[in-house]
Amino acid sequence: MIQFDQVSKRYEGGHEALSQLSFEVPTGEMAFVTGHSGAGKSTLLKLLGLIERPSHGVISMDGKSLAKIRHGGVPKWRRRMGMVFQDHRLLMDRSVFANVELPLVIGTIAQAERARRVRAALEKVGLLAYERQLPATLSTGEQQRVGIARAIVARPSLLIADEPTGNLDPQLALEVMGLFSEFQQLGTTVLIASHDLPLIKRMKKRVIVLDHGRLVADLAAQEVL
Amino acid sequence: MAPESSSAGAPDAPSRNEHSRSRRFAGWQEHHGWSAGASLRRLAARPLGSLLTITVMGLALALPLAFYLLLGNVQKLGDALGQSQVISVFLQPGQGVQQAQLLAKELGGRAEISGVSIKTPQQGMDELARMQGFSGALQSLDDNPLPYVLELQPRPDATAPALEQLVTDVRTMHSVDMVQDAGSWRQRLDALLAVGNRAVQVLASLLALAALLVVGNTVRVDIASRSEEIGVLLLLGASSAFVRRPYLYAGIWYGLFSGLLAAALAVLIEFALAEPVAQLSQAYQGKLQVGGLPLWLLLVVPLAAAALGWLGARLVSAWQLRKAA
Repeated sequence: MIQFDQVSKRYEGGHEALSQLSFEVPTGEMAFVTGHSGAGKSTLLKLLGLIERPSHGVISMDGKSLAKIRHGGVPKWRRRMGMVFQDHRLLMDRSVFANVELPLVIGTIAQAERARRVRAALEKVGLLAYERQLPATLSTGEQQRVGIARAIVARPSLLIADEPTGNLDPQLALEVMGLFSEFQQLGTTVLIASHDLPLIKRMKKRVIVLDHGRLVADLAAQEVL
Repeated sequence: MAPESSSAGAPDAPSRNEHSRSRRFAGWQEHHGWSAGASLRRLAARPLGSLLTITVMGLALALPLAFYLLLGNVQKLGDALGQSQVISVFLQPGQGVQQAQLLAKELGGRAEISGVSIKTPQQGMDELARMQGFSGALQSLDDNPLPYVLELQPRPDATAPALEQLVTDVRTMHSVDMVQDAGSWRQRLDALLAVGNRAVQVLASLLALAALLVVGNTVRVDIASRSEEIGVLLLLGASSAFVRRPYLYAGIWYGLFSGLLAAALAVLIEFALAEPVAQLSQAYQGKLQVGGLPLWLLLVVPLAAAALGWLGARLVSAWQLRKAA
């Protein structure tokens, strides 16, 4: 379970990105975080990834406060989660296979096991045939799917995605969201920041709405029209 | 794309502890192997830059080796010259063969002396006669004015202070007129060699520092050019040690190759010196042996240079990655 308890984030210069945010996401739930540009969606995900630290309040996962994770413990924490970025953040000088393999290499998984898992992850996102290609030779949608394969290959307990469909056409965006939904059904907690309201409505999942860093609505799946 | 419940790639359940320690150790070893190979390939991918870095470092490391070699040979030359050096003791005029033999026996018993020979006035006269321009002058003499001379051969292991004391003692002897110690130059040479050795040590330290900075700067540029990749690795949960590893291996490669180059240059210098030193040796009846660098030093230099490269990369990468994190 992810818990935000009165969490605020004020950047240097005084800009308050999040203000007294409190909510919970049970284990295995998929939720969208939405709001206009600058609402604090990305900041919320950065706090979860320990890319940023809150100015006030407590974030905890399964009862453990993230504030207790010191600098040296951050890599281990990040290895527990999968991250998907709008700009994919793929290494363009390495093959699709090598990109997806990265979390397993970091996790010191043996080579034979890595190969097995990478191929399974690529098969899941429909890109097994492209494993030897460089990411630059793929379309934007395919690159995003490589990013998703990389995020799930280490079997994370938490998957966070920042505008994962921002550069995709509606059909591809729906396919990508379908993938996230499949992972959620297998027990992974999925948190997606998106401002694509039509897509969010179609997914019929819980929606957390932010406005200027404040929680303005928390809609259960059945409340989403 | 139906989800699979247990096959690889699907987030079926968190399985952080499914791998045993031995498997993780194998993965860690594998990453070391990968880092060593990848860093080597990166060096090979930009041959000119790598070659320049290695050459600069190699020359920096070869310089102190060359000076060390030179000093070693000067030392050997001094030793060779020292062996042929004698202390000449001139007896007072009028002292006869009996007195010369008594004194030779007394001095021959001293620990610093390996041998004493007596040169008679006639032998001295004969030597002078063989010298160009003296024969005519000697014929005009009525008597032989030359004294008996004892030639003392110091032991090779006799120290300079001991020989100095010997000369002082002999000078005070009743029957002795004069002592000529041609070995005092050796003391001056030893003092100069000591200065030279210290200079080589300082130079070696400075050039090692320069090599360290060269590696550090090369790794810094390498890290800066890969900042995006490093950012991704950190986001994916890579530790600093993991990210740093290929750069540390790069430092080791730079150091190792430059150390090998330095050792090879030192051997070349040795070969270049071999012929003139052999000629010099002939001039001293083969007493002068060509002094090369010891094999252990040629082996240690590449290893020490690799350690130096590792250190340079370690310092810079720690600083750079702290900024990136």
